[in-house]
Amino acid sequence: MAFETGRSPAIQITPRQRWSIAFSHLLIVVVLLLGVNQRDSLLNQTSVYTNISAGVSASYPARWLLDESADNVFRIRDMSHLGFKTTIEVRSLPVGVDGAERNLLDHLSLQRSQVLIDYSVLGYDNFRMPDDSHAISMAYTFVSRDASPFLEGVSSIVNGLDILTIRRGQALVASLRAESSIYRRELATFRRFIENLEF
Amino acid sequence: MIRIRQIGQTDAAESFGILPVWRRLSLLFIALAAICGGVIVAEEALPLAFSADINRALSLMLTALPVVLWLLVSVLPEFRVERPRRRLIGVAVVSGLTASAIGLPLAESFFVLDQWLPLQSVFQRIIGFTLTAGMTDAGLRFVVLRYLIYPQALRVRGDAVAYTLAAAIGYSFYLSLVLIWRLEPTWNNAAIFVLSSFTIQVASSLFIALGIVESYFSDAFPLVLPANLLAAALVNGVLQALLPGLLSGPLSQAGAADRPLFGLMFLLAAALASVGASYFLYSNSERLEREAYMRREGAHGI
Repeated sequence: MAFETGRSPAIQITPRQRWSIAFSHLLIVVVLLLGVNQRDSLLNQTSVYTNISAGVSASYPARWLLDESADNVFRIRDMSHLGFKTTIEVRSLPVGVDGAERNLLDHLSLQRSQVLIDYSVLGYDNFRMPDDSHAISMAYTFVSRDASPFLEGVSSIVNGLDILTIRRGQALVASLRAESSIYRRELATFRRFIENLEF
Repeated sequence: MIRIRQIGQTDAAESFGILPVWRRLSLLFIALAAICGGVIVAEEALPLAFSADINRALSLMLTALPVVLWLLVSVLPEFRVERPRRRLIGVAVVSGLTASAIGLPLAESFFVLDQWLPLQSVFQRIIGFTLTAGMTDAGLRFVVLRYLIYPQALRVRGDAVAYTLAAAIGYSFYLSLVLIWRLEPTWNNAAIFVLSSFTIQVASSLFIALGIVESYFSDAFPLVLPANLLAAALVNGVLQALLPGLLSGPLSQAGAADRPLFGLMFLLAAALASVGASYFLYSNSERLEREAYMRREGAHGI
């Protein structure tokens, strides 16, 4: 007959076991803190974009998709998000001698109201850029619908924010568009983007 | 430390009044893999089409399958033995509640894994899952076991394995339930979710069990238990990182198709490897302990 080594259930744990339990708790805390660190470093990891001809340089979230189409200086999108893809767009507009910021925003609104569903301006505000220069912001909303009718997707309500600043006879418009449910969260990303935007 | 003589755990434990655990664990794995594998193969081979309601009902039934099998294979036989493990259901329930209250909210809302991990390289995904979801899952189960069974309910080494299995069952049941409730997958995908959740949690739990066994029964060096806990988190992280890639087919012009059979094979291999490795380490530790005892006592096994 074989035997088995066992321990009485009533016995107290030894100092070694007490230490091993304490180390285990410590390990859980340390590893989770490392996880938080990795999350933050990957979530906030940025890539640098430079466009010499437009005179624009910016840092954008590394996991977002960069797109340089004809209409914009550049556009970045968070392709990992389901539904409407959060978009930050930078475009440069020529300004006349007497060009006012508000006129440019109205012009943008007019264009958008023809292509976006249920486009409506929520308000205007003054905005101070990181270098203390003055800018004007316009908040708006519209409804986004899937381009393909075969996808049978549900429409999304999108919130947008334009920040317009004029320098050296050129206007720069930085725009954020995000689904209204995550708009506040994405606004923080947009603020970091604006802080690093050089124009 | 008090050492008491008992009869052998492997063959004679049942007669002594404690249920052997490894055979039941293997039986549980085989039964679950056979049923889930059968569902996956049936869906691949036969043109089965169910209405949404039936599909949902079948998926939810599959979610409960590991718990039902565990109750039949591990818990009910406990009532027939002389010295049953009385806290199995309590450990499973508390573990499930912990997953609900802390585990899932931490992974989804605090670590927001879906925002930054899926697009990383395989290596970074493994590290990321290990440091976040892996350690959350393993750590929570360890804390549950620490305060419910360590050391009061540990009489023989098999107790540690049985209770960590109970913790894994409760934890994986809640995760599977939430996933299937939210995503409403087809029943073959539900079978993969259930099998993968069970395999991931049980595979990592076995390393927690090894840590508890070494710490409590062998009074091992204090870093052995944390090292096993880290191994449990790593196993969890590796499986969570690799599984989605193996389930998805390559992208082509026709789109991307699922590869459920490939995923099934991977899960079976992972289950076999983890149970085999932990059983080897467990037996080895038991053998060393027995030899040390014989040397000390000068006895020949009796």
